Amino acid sequence: MIDYSADLYDPVYEVIGVPATLSAGTAGEVTITVIDDTRRKTQASGSVEMRSVGPGAFARIPELTAKGIARDDCDGATLTFNGRTWIVRSHEACGSPNGEDLGEVRFLLKSSA
Amino acid sequence: MIDVREDILARLLEVVGSLPNIRSAHRNNVDIPETQLPAVIVLDGDEESDGAGDVSMKQPHRPYNVQMTPGIILQVQDDNVVLGSIVTTFRRELIKRVLTDTELNEQIVKTGRHGNGAIRYLGCQTDVGWTRTGYAALTAQFLFKYSLKPDDL
Repeated sequence: MIDYSADLYDPVYEVIGVPATLSAGTAGEVTITVIDDTRRKTQASGSVEMRSVGPGAFARIPELTAKGIARDDCDGATLTFNGRTWIVRSHEACGSPNGEDLGEVRFLLKSSA
Repeated sequence: MIDVREDILARLLEVVGSLPNIRSAHRNNVDIPETQLPAVIVLDGDEESDGAGDVSMKQPHRPYNVQMTPGIILQVQDDNVVLGSIVTTFRRELIKRVLTDTELNEQIVKTGRHGNGAIRYLGCQTDVGWTRTGYAALTAQFLFKYSLKPDDL
């Protein structure tokens, strides 16, 4: 059985992960590693398109668990990374061949301003 | 030269551009960056004349009754919880201003007792979504009935 945490997530987060500060629930500020997944996003209304971004970030569930943070605690949390501060408006579990609890969570973010 | 269709669209852009808190107004621009929101866009839209159903032998350059339906789209980004009231305010102001604008009604379309034009509010649709904040759009339709006089073009 392949250990996806050791063989995939560890090296990926080592290379493209960035430090982030998560303030969720009563846990206070916790430093985690996230992968910035902010993407361009277009909203179309009829034939008119509006161009913006859809901010997002991946984090590893084992790291959150180790630091005492449950996924559900993250909704409404503040997440700061790459010089910007966001609010977690929702999240989705991304799963893993080794099980959901060893996979990633994708935070769906919104502006904190 | 009098082109009522163009006069309607040009004045309509001025009217919607005067809506409160609008940052930019566009005509037929279908690619709006978020930095220009709240934005309102006037699309020229379609028109139909009574020519297809006219079985008379009148000269082709005699006046037609035309009904045009330009599109009006309003886009806004803001906190998701306030978007509903923002769109409601835009809708209210839009309807009021288009249907009561003196220049549009009395000078261009010529509504009223002695004119044969008309402006009608047909309805609206809304879209909501997420970008870096909440996003909402209001698409509204009005019908402008006017007399097309080919000799004046």
